[in-house]
Amino acid sequence: MKITPIIGLEVHVELKTKSKMFCNCSAEHFHVEPNTHTCPVCLGLPGALPVPNITACEWCVKLGLALGCTPNETSFFERKNYFYPDLAKGYQLTQYEKPFVINGKVKVGDQEVRINRAHMEEDTGKSVHISEYGQDLTLIDYNRCGVPLVEIVSEPDITSATMAKDYLLKMQQIIRYLGISDADIEKGSMRCEPTVNLKIEDNGEVFYTPLAEIKNVASLTGVQNAIEFEIKRQTEEFEKTREVKNSKNKTTRGWNAEKAQTFLQREKEGSADYRYFPEPDIPHMEFTPAQIEEIRISIPELPDQKIEKYKSVYSLNDYDSSVIATDQNFADIYETVVTPQNRNDKIKEFAKFVANLFLGAIKTHLNETGEELNQSKINPEYFLNLFDSVQKSEISSSAAKQVIVESYQTGTNPVEIAKDKGLIQVSDTGALEKMAQEVITANPKAVEDYKKNPMSIGFLIGQLMRLSKGSANPQMAKEILEKILNGN
Amino acid sequence: MDLQNLSFKQTRHLLLDKQITAVEIANYFLARTKEIDPKIKAFITITEKEIIDQAQRIDEKIKKGEKLGKLAGAVMAVKDIFLTKGIQTTSSSQVLNGYIPQYSSSIYQKLIDEDVMIIGKTNTDPFAFGASTENSGYFTTKNPWNIEMVPGGSSGGSAAAVAADLCHFALGTDTGGSIRQPSSLCGVSGIKTTYGRNSRYGITAMASSFDCPGVFARDVEDIALVTEITAGLDPHDATTCDIEVPKYTENLKKINIKGLKIGLPKEYFTGSIDPEVKEKVLNAAKEFEKQGAILVDISLPSTDLGIAVYYILIPSEISANMARYDGIRFGQSVDGAPDIVSYYMQTRGKYMEPEVKRRILIGTYALSSGYYDAYYTKAAKVRTLIKNEFVEAFKNVDVILAPCSPTPAWKIGAKVNDPLQMYLADVYTVCINVAGVPGLALPCGFNNQNLPIGFQLIGNFFEEEKLFSLGHQFQQFTDYHQKRPQL
Ligand SMILES: [Zn+2]
Repeated sequence: MKITPIIGLEVHVELKTKSKMFCNCSAEHFHVEPNTHTCPVCLGLPGALPVPNITACEWCVKLGLALGCTPNETSFFERKNYFYPDLAKGYQLTQYEKPFVINGKVKVGDQEVRINRAHMEEDTGKSVHISEYGQDLTLIDYNRCGVPLVEIVSEPDITSATMAKDYLLKMQQIIRYLGISDADIEKGSMRCEPTVNLKIEDNGEVFYTPLAEIKNVASLTGVQNAIEFEIKRQTEEFEKTREVKNSKNKTTRGWNAEKAQTFLQREKEGSADYRYFPEPDIPHMEFTPAQIEEIRISIPELPDQKIEKYKSVYSLNDYDSSVIATDQNFADIYETVVTPQNRNDKIKEFAKFVANLFLGAIKTHLNETGEELNQSKINPEYFLNLFDSVQKSEISSSAAKQVIVESYQTGTNPVEIAKDKGLIQVSDTGALEKMAQEVITANPKAVEDYKKNPMSIGFLIGQLMRLSKGSANPQMAKEILEKILNGN
Repeated sequence: MDLQNLSFKQTRHLLLDKQITAVEIANYFLARTKEIDPKIKAFITITEKEIIDQAQRIDEKIKKGEKLGKLAGAVMAVKDIFLTKGIQTTSSSQVLNGYIPQYSSSIYQKLIDEDVMIIGKTNTDPFAFGASTENSGYFTTKNPWNIEMVPGGSSGGSAAAVAADLCHFALGTDTGGSIRQPSSLCGVSGIKTTYGRNSRYGITAMASSFDCPGVFARDVEDIALVTEITAGLDPHDATTCDIEVPKYTENLKKINIKGLKIGLPKEYFTGSIDPEVKEKVLNAAKEFEKQGAILVDISLPSTDLGIAVYYILIPSEISANMARYDGIRFGQSVDGAPDIVSYYMQTRGKYMEPEVKRRILIGTYALSSGYYDAYYTKAAKVRTLIKNEFVEAFKNVDVILAPCSPTPAWKIGAKVNDPLQMYLADVYTVCINVAGVPGLALPCGFNNQNLPIGFQLIGNFFEEEKLFSLGHQFQQFTDYHQKRPQL
């Protein structure tokens, strides 16, 4: 029996526009006094009308373009009708037939996930269920009602839980690069609903298990675990029932993070009828080719492009390239230090040198302090100075790591720090010869050992380093000791 | 001083000449309304406190020599589907009984900013669903010309209030004829503006892509003045248009009737039309002919599809527009429902009027999967067809002239048990809404029972200026608009 998971993801991203999707209320709703960011429009009061937030629409198009989508010539909003107390108007404004953008793709590792569409819609309010005065009460907070959401729908091209996680990380990266959302899964500004089923090949026959859409997954590991659980559950279920997918047996399942299980929420998803129809309160929207071009130009260099550049121009390896590109701020600051013009002939060495410092000492420091990399604390000139010193063997690579963090913290030139700390390597032959003589005289036993076994020179080098308080250039120290001991 | 037969313009002169105060005007209309309204029942709410407050503010301004708004001295009635901050707005439905809005509709606010005084909120069919006010969740308004007859609808309360001189003008809305048909039945003038000319913000929605706010008045001059103030782009209504609003009042004589081509669509003068209505409307056309206009027979062949298209598209939009009346955030609601679904069903079941439920059901059905393409999509296509016929017609004629209603006012109760008959009352008005063009209703005579008859001038998109100019000139050479009912 060969099992291939078929996974599609619906990702909802809350845009961080100043105002809501269809009114002027602040879109801020995290830790805000309930029902203070509301107005007739988002409360769905009689007579109130929606006016689309153009910035949000442009951001949706921008995200679409970044995902390689094509904009629709004309788009319109539609009403999705259903009753729920936190849905003020009794319908949600969304896009169904004509979303802003369609048909894109995203690279995930060396695979590709096709994007069906990205469309604009509005968030609902929040229902809070409480027990008080011996009663079960539901309180509704409409602050979130009408906050702009972009829904990105993938094709079912994802084949494992890990790939789903990588897809989400990639999506998160792109969204953050565009600066249109925090895309924080834990805070709910990015939400995702995987739809999972399995292709099962058994004795030359092919079966597809019923679709299950998983809701309420509130973390990245949650997504991964839920999909893994579902793959296992559907496999077992199929072995028991041999039920295959049809147009009526799609189910909705919830994710219980504590029990690490999905559970049945709703059966027969196929029967829900939302009675979509075009929203008459908002005229159809068109972006002219010039407007699309303007949006396209505003898209910054994206992680994939950066990785490609790091590899081809700076010869960084895959790993370093993608780690630097993960975070836009980090990558941008890296690029203020490393530019293609730096140290022309030695640009690749310089790029690697800076990458090592950024991903090593500096990143470790940032992880310890929980800070983000701060552009104002990075002086590109210092990195060049430090690089030159290392190239001239004045400063060792390990010393460089040590001083760069202090430089980052204090703003002092790292070469100065190295001098102050006596970390400048002694490469003066005369001084080294003097110290070598001293070491040889003081350690006759070790000299005897060396005569028997030249590999034991390490001890004498160590003594010399100690004498120099670590400032001797170890390579030169070794050469000079050997010269004296071998008597030539 | 008897203000009954004075136009707003004349009343304003008296106010500016300090021959009368705003409080006196307010008191006159209050007293008249308290006397007359019990007979015709035009008002759901009479805003006694508000009108006196407003009048006092105006008198204060006059005393201090401050600049007065363009409508200082005018008394206005407002259809009860316009939200009025601090004043109960029921939409003539029990669902909103006692509802005091936190904000005002854009148009109402613009008029208030011009120092208008509000006398009250007028009765309508609930949420404007109807053609006679008989569907109102409160009571039926009576026709001031004969209190056994309907005033037409849905804006019947506003039409009756103007006909009975309880105000200078009244706000209404026209989704399928709800201004022009009651204008015709009550013998007053009324404008249905181009869709997108007047803001819908703050007016409880019936069918969003059809609703057109407008105004009733004794004569076109007052209508032009009010429309000049209300029309234009509203940042709160994305369907309003950024097209300059002409100075309607300064251009009332602008259009030359001589040589003007007036189209008479044959589909509007055949079938079930009452012979007296036909005669009076054609007489109105002849009056224009006498002034040098050329009458042209035209055809709008898809007219008979209008009602079908209308009664598929508007309930569809209604079914969604009514969803917010769920008893959660405002309006009436039941106690003690065991769960949320029961709460919705009991609240909506108890407080929504039968016609409201009927239209929600029709619309929900039309939008259901499996029926959507057969009904909604097809109706939307025919809508385009009807619109194109108007566009084509206006390539050959300057304006179209037609009746507003196939009959004069009918007896209260005559059609209440036959919704289809009631829907046909809109037969001459709906296509104008389906297309979105403007229509101006004007009185043009009476039948043998002294019931008013009206007609409409239909213009191309955003040609209100032309309609006002023609309507005004018509009222210079006729005096039907001056006739008053005996009350
Ligand atoms: Zn709001």
